[in-house]
Amino acid sequence: MLTGPLKIGIVCPYSWDTPGGVQNHIRDLAEFLIQAGHQVSVLAPAIDENDLPSYVVNAGKPISIPYNGAVARVLFGPVAFARVRQWISTGDFDLLHLHEPAIPSISLLACWAADGPMVGTFHAAAKRQKIIFAIGPILEPAIEKLSARIAVSEAARLTLTDHLDTDAVVIPNGIYASRYTDGVAQSIWQGNTIGFIGRFEEPRKGLSVLLEALPVIARFAPDVRVLVAGPGDSAEVMEGIDPQLQHCFEFLGKISEEDKANFMSSISIYVAPNTGGESFGIIVAEALAGGACVVASDIPAFDDLLGHGKYGALFAAEDSTHLAKVVIDLLRDDTKRSELAAAGRERGQSFDWSIVAEQILSVYEMSIVGSEKVHLASDTRSWSRFLSKDEK
Amino acid sequence: MTNWVAIAFFLLFSLWYLSFTATRLDRLHHRVETSWANLDVLLQKRAAVALEIARSDIADPASSMLLTAAAYQARDAEIRNRSQAESGLSGALGLLLKDSFHLSTAADNALLTELSALTDKIRVAIAIHTDAVTRTHFVRGKFVVKVFRLAGTAPLPVTYEFESDVL
Repeated sequence: MLTGPLKIGIVCPYSWDTPGGVQNHIRDLAEFLIQAGHQVSVLAPAIDENDLPSYVVNAGKPISIPYNGAVARVLFGPVAFARVRQWISTGDFDLLHLHEPAIPSISLLACWAADGPMVGTFHAAAKRQKIIFAIGPILEPAIEKLSARIAVSEAARLTLTDHLDTDAVVIPNGIYASRYTDGVAQSIWQGNTIGFIGRFEEPRKGLSVLLEALPVIARFAPDVRVLVAGPGDSAEVMEGIDPQLQHCFEFLGKISEEDKANFMSSISIYVAPNTGGESFGIIVAEALAGGACVVASDIPAFDDLLGHGKYGALFAAEDSTHLAKVVIDLLRDDTKRSELAAAGRERGQSFDWSIVAEQILSVYEMSIVGSEKVHLASDTRSWSRFLSKDEK
Repeated sequence: MTNWVAIAFFLLFSLWYLSFTATRLDRLHHRVETSWANLDVLLQKRAAVALEIARSDIADPASSMLLTAAAYQARDAEIRNRSQAESGLSGALGLLLKDSFHLSTAADNALLTELSALTDKIRVAIAIHTDAVTRTHFVRGKFVVKVFRLAGTAPLPVTYEFESDVL
């Protein structure tokens, strides 16, 4: 039903040059849409102006604020508001796609400033906070302007209904599944290996749970090796490990996308021991697509992603004994492991961008129907309509 | 003197708030209309596809009759009875498609793919529309809106109770 290419404006709330799930999602989506022939402009805060892709417009330097248990680099304030308004008025967009419009950021500013077709994507999953009673009345009129809301997972949708009393369509995060399907198994990573990818210094990623489970696992499988990839200070983690078990550990540092694909197809088990704060779990989706057998904590996001244990094994979050038991069972049972990996691989395909972007585009389509282009909101619209009626 | 300034400020703020709320409500009414128009178009299309399926080889004569009746009912229903009629059509389609995938030719397959694509879109359209309607009801229930009759003559939107799991 879409007639011709669209002009889409995407607003990224977080600093473009710090790594993060939302930023990756926006980058991939923007590139996919451009490839499909649409015109895309992304407005994002950035620290270094010189290193931006051509479709990104810099909104200014971000500031760091504590939010949802982590430090968020966002941007707001009168200067930013002026830039957002300018971007909207000169952009001539058919549609705005705002990410995470419920946090203080340029997404929220854009939501205030614009009128017309707008789609909002909610990424975060958080427990109900009391603060919402205070900020709800401010947020509600803004969030209400979105013509369609997308949540990246069931957990994010529940957060939204809890906090703002409004519903959303669930469309998962996308991955380039094909990049992970043809990874080549590397012999140095094969054997009884357990993989972990992520910023392991962050407590919510749960590496400590895996560390606690390791002594038990090593008793049953002495040749087990834990491969940890991702940015961070490995020496500090090494210090906290029992010297007898240190040989089991290998820190690979940050690895490339290609290596990631090889990694996923080599290791025996991928472990995601996150303790919470995760809304979708893109790395788990990538592990699934890469054909790794996944063991994950049973936080809502992973439970949903793994189909309640159909596409990967689950263990009680933060329970290292349970994790050890699940891992040992799987290391001993080759058939069960390959069965789970095969089921997971198929599941991973359903998060491919070709499918996910199609769903997003059909939401775009519905928001555009019957509306004019995006323009700056003026709170006097009802007045001018009232006056023009009088003139007739 | 300060009293007068305070009163003037208060009056200005109230005026701004009334205008702001009126705009908000106006926008919501507009959204209810457009999202309904969108949903309506999709549902009409679905009825058309259903009729085509009824005429194709997928359907046996009995279910063809059932489907045709349901499709016509869905097309003619008024907005208040619409959800019931559409649910009837969903039921008829579900009944037929549950066990007919084995005898489809290429042309029939195209019909079925079109139907499933439409169903996905309708699901999203329903979510968007229901949300617009609930928000409008919520804002219209506010004290300020009632007292100052900010809704004007706009009709109260009808809640469309489409059970999406029937789709």
